[in-house]
Amino acid sequence: MRKIVSFLMFTLMLLTLVSVSLAQDEQVLVYGIAENTDSLDPARGYTPQEGTVNHATYETLVTWPPSDNTEVLPMLAESWTISEDGLTYTFTLRSDVTFHDGSPMVASDVVFSFLRLKYVGGNPSFLAESIASVEAPDDTTVVITLSQADPAILAKLASAPFSVVSEAIVTANGGTAAEDAAETDAAEAFLNSTSAGTGPYVLESWEQSVTTVLVRNENYWGEAPFFDRIIFQNIPEAASQAAALQVGDIDIAADITADQIESLTANGDVVIEQVATPTIMFLLFNQDESIGGPVSNPDVQRAIRYAIDYESILALTGGSGVQPPSVIPVGFAGALPNEEVIVRDVEMARSLLAEAGYADGFTIDLQYPEFTLQGVAIGDVAQVVQANLAEVGITVNLAPGELLAELDLYRNGQEGLGLWWWSPDFQDAVSNLEFLPARTVGNRVNWTDENSDAEIQEVRDQAFAETDAAARAELVQQAQRYLQENGPFAPLAQVGRQIGLRADITGFTFNPQWDVDVIQLAR
Amino acid sequence: MPIYLYILRRVLFAIPVLLGITLVAFVISNAVPADPMLANLGQRSISNPTIVENFRREWGLDQPAPVQYVVYLSNLLRGNLGMSIKSRRPVLEDLQAYFPATIELATSSIVLALVVGVGAGVISAVWRNHPIDFVARFISLIGVSAPVFWLAIIFLVIFYSRLGWAPGPGRLDVRLSPPPYYTGFYTIDSALAGQWNTFWNAVGHLVLPSLVLASYSTGVITRVTRSAMLEVLSQDYVRTARSKGLRERAVILTHAFSNARLPIVTIIGLSYSTLLTGAVLTETIFAWPGIGRYVFRASTSLDFPAIMGSSLVIAFVFVVMNLLVDVLYYLLDPRIRAA
Amino acid sequence: MRNLFRWLVRNPFTLMGVIVVLLWTVGAITAHWIAPYDPLAQNVSNRLQAPNAEHIWGTDQLGRDIYSRVLYGGRISLPAGLIAVFFATVIGSLIGATAGYAGGLWDELLMRLTEIFMAFPTIILAMAISAALGPSIVNAMIALVVVSWPSYARIMRGLVISEKVHEYVVASHAMGASHLRILLRAILPNCLSSIIVVATLDFGNAILLFAGLSFLGLGPEPASPEWGRMVSTGIDFFDQWWMSIFPGLAMFTVVMAFNFIGDGIRDLADPHTAKR
Repeated sequence: MRKIVSFLMFTLMLLTLVSVSLAQDEQVLVYGIAENTDSLDPARGYTPQEGTVNHATYETLVTWPPSDNTEVLPMLAESWTISEDGLTYTFTLRSDVTFHDGSPMVASDVVFSFLRLKYVGGNPSFLAESIASVEAPDDTTVVITLSQADPAILAKLASAPFSVVSEAIVTANGGTAAEDAAETDAAEAFLNSTSAGTGPYVLESWEQSVTTVLVRNENYWGEAPFFDRIIFQNIPEAASQAAALQVGDIDIAADITADQIESLTANGDVVIEQVATPTIMFLLFNQDESIGGPVSNPDVQRAIRYAIDYESILALTGGSGVQPPSVIPVGFAGALPNEEVIVRDVEMARSLLAEAGYADGFTIDLQYPEFTLQGVAIGDVAQVVQANLAEVGITVNLAPGELLAELDLYRNGQEGLGLWWWSPDFQDAVSNLEFLPARTVGNRVNWTDENSDAEIQEVRDQAFAETDAAARAELVQQAQRYLQENGPFAPLAQVGRQIGLRADITGFTFNPQWDVDVIQLAR
Repeated sequence: MPIYLYILRRVLFAIPVLLGITLVAFVISNAVPADPMLANLGQRSISNPTIVENFRREWGLDQPAPVQYVVYLSNLLRGNLGMSIKSRRPVLEDLQAYFPATIELATSSIVLALVVGVGAGVISAVWRNHPIDFVARFISLIGVSAPVFWLAIIFLVIFYSRLGWAPGPGRLDVRLSPPPYYTGFYTIDSALAGQWNTFWNAVGHLVLPSLVLASYSTGVITRVTRSAMLEVLSQDYVRTARSKGLRERAVILTHAFSNARLPIVTIIGLSYSTLLTGAVLTETIFAWPGIGRYVFRASTSLDFPAIMGSSLVIAFVFVVMNLLVDVLYYLLDPRIRAA
Repeated sequence: MRNLFRWLVRNPFTLMGVIVVLLWTVGAITAHWIAPYDPLAQNVSNRLQAPNAEHIWGTDQLGRDIYSRVLYGGRISLPAGLIAVFFATVIGSLIGATAGYAGGLWDELLMRLTEIFMAFPTIILAMAISAALGPSIVNAMIALVVVSWPSYARIMRGLVISEKVHEYVVASHAMGASHLRILLRAILPNCLSSIIVVATLDFGNAILLFAGLSFLGLGPEPASPEWGRMVSTGIDFFDQWWMSIFPGLAMFTVVMAFNFIGDGIRDLADPHTAKR
């Protein structure tokens, strides 16, 4: 009996040792984040985090330098030429690129990916709007023809929605790039469970709002990344992220608040990277009176812009946050100068309300998602807005909702008064002109060509077509000055970002296009 | 009455209750002013009449309510709990994924509550009005009075964040992959697979949530055990046993405790319900991927198939638990057998 | 009155419970005068202050005074629990009394109904109800009533059944009194004290459940100084322990006090247990 027991004990010990050593051999990076991913299908997903994940699993024709958006660099495309009229872009592809399954990436895959994005009717599909046709004369050449000059097209091509997927794999799993793809494409579930790209990582699993697991792509055509496995763990609260980072449960915490910096860095195990981001938090006012009620009135909208205490909101966002004068992030070409920010003026707000016929105020719901955006609890900002508007007689009832459910309401234009944020899809001021009538965000407040001024429509059309940088910046500024007076939005803050890392993590870079570049990280 | 007949009778009684539960769950889901379409239909779809139409048909929302209920019941009989609108997976599959986590947590809590609660109750009754008694009573009062979610935060801040003595939220460290699936209990599965690293990690992760979750039940069990023991200890036959010169330990264990078992068994059965109540809150704070968190997320997004399916399964477990308690009662108490 | 006082002195725990409940009640009622700050007044530049001379319990993430908020919070948490228990008692007792008095099919039906409701774990039923009705104080209270009436119904039924065989009931029936009159005038008053004992013991639980619902975001709106809400906000701030400790402490002491009072009243009603 004793012998058996000791034999068992020995076996157990051995097994323990084996399992411990197995666990140690693998290099794992754990990335704590407040997840808001709606889809990992590159043609459908449309959140910053989707960019972070897909940047590791997919690649694009062109890309940006590690930490800025100053010049467009080659990636899957070796080189490109632009026609005189700015309508035809010809890309020469690398010939040594392979997909996760080892099959070569050729021009027809690029055509499939771009057309699928255009026709699938996903949230980012509008990015492909200006593309008239994509053709592949041979395996290494892609020709993109635009329907109108689009000065931002290269910036768009560097964004995650233009990821190149394998036509063979996606088609085999229900995907299509036909014009009726919006109804017939059925590859989303597949692309949410694995990736079909050329990047250094492969998506192993994604459990929405829980974990996203990436494993190293053994067939990667380029240089292998350091980590074998990357786990994105959804940790919604900043406090839990900070605690997990402090004890070493996670290696990166993506949503640290400015308040936490001091206690986190006290013992040297953690470093905090402070980065500016172009993410703009804003109030929206639905232009459809049946949904927005009083806030569909332009005077009320303007009154609310004057009623907000921007300094309090900045105190909440902390760190590197700033107040943007309008919808274009500070730092972008075409942003208004800082002295043009809207300054709180309660008297002005009251008189505007009186003019609009609401001298005694009104009652309205403020809809927003329960979410921590880059370390800022949206609910806290909502409470500041509530208190500010109470001062001018507007009674705000806070109506928080679950993130993904609320996201759908917002995107479908169902919110009357809402609190949301917007990150540019590509690093160009044009991306934030989506706030204009009949554009993505404009549509979300039912601001259309029918109910908006001809003046702003004209500015919009010119800005989207203008290829001269200086002239475009001028138009972008014109649009913002209009928005300061009339628009159905109140930009609240451009939120800074604190990213916490364990001190032994190296290779940190941050690009607003994809956030932290996990490929470059090492221990 | 023979035991099998008794059980059969109880099972038959349970059927209308289970049926009623489906009805109540159904009525709540349908008496809602909120529109599940708004909460669940994907973007760009709500304005597309074909998609809206399909959605209504898929979830039977185009039928009158009684028909919907009958459809639901007939699916249920075939083991089909419907599809969760949120996760887009069969509810049954979701429940299979989430239930083991809750059972594992609940089991470790109830064991903890039993050991500590019964122990403390007996000790406190035997040493009545001794300082030990006061300490035990005070601690049990804390247990029944402190809000579970508050204790959870305090424990998390002190033992995880500040002192680093216990692992934090979740069932395992994120770095570790879950053990191969046999039972869904990480402790059992990892032990079966010989992954002792994972086993100890899973045990460690159980410590804080179990302590928090057990607090209320421990308090209740201590109180009930104490008063049941006091009642028995004052009975004549215990006095007789004592006067016969039996050793005090023997008196307490064989005579007194065996007669105090009945109320204790009852309260354990009842504790199960409060345990689940606590589980919802505990799981939310400890990011425990169990049924409580699942139901919470389902109810905030008005995911009716998920709410109904999980209420039903939980109520089913509750009914079975009550049945077990009754059978145990039946076996322990000769008076019921005679009746 | 003097007897009550003497009894309280002899039961120090109950006395303590009464004092604690009185303190919180008076604090909530007079909050307007004694709270140093407006519970809703934000001062963001003064946020997350540790307890100090100006803010004895510190400030929250929007610079609101926690002490003032906790005092005002009593205006929500205390009445919510009490009102919910009151309605649950009334509704449950009426259903239980008719079931017990009438017996037969009606009794059978009502008792199955209570079993169905009792089979749902309380919080899940409450969660489903308040989620379905939309989060608000009133809806959370409705949820509380829905989940707690069945236990009162069962207790009341038992009491009525044991009461209705008594001679005075039989006698008044023979004298031609109507059923309603017998039930309301003769039977119910005799069952009242037992039900009140149970209800007192339940106050604490009701307050906890209400706080649990609002902790989950299913109670009062985010800015309101409700105790459960405040604790749940505090979760986001591990370093600022005062944000969740103090409102939690308020809840804890109130619930404990109600438990003391409940125990005391039970002993009073049932002297048999009091001797122990």
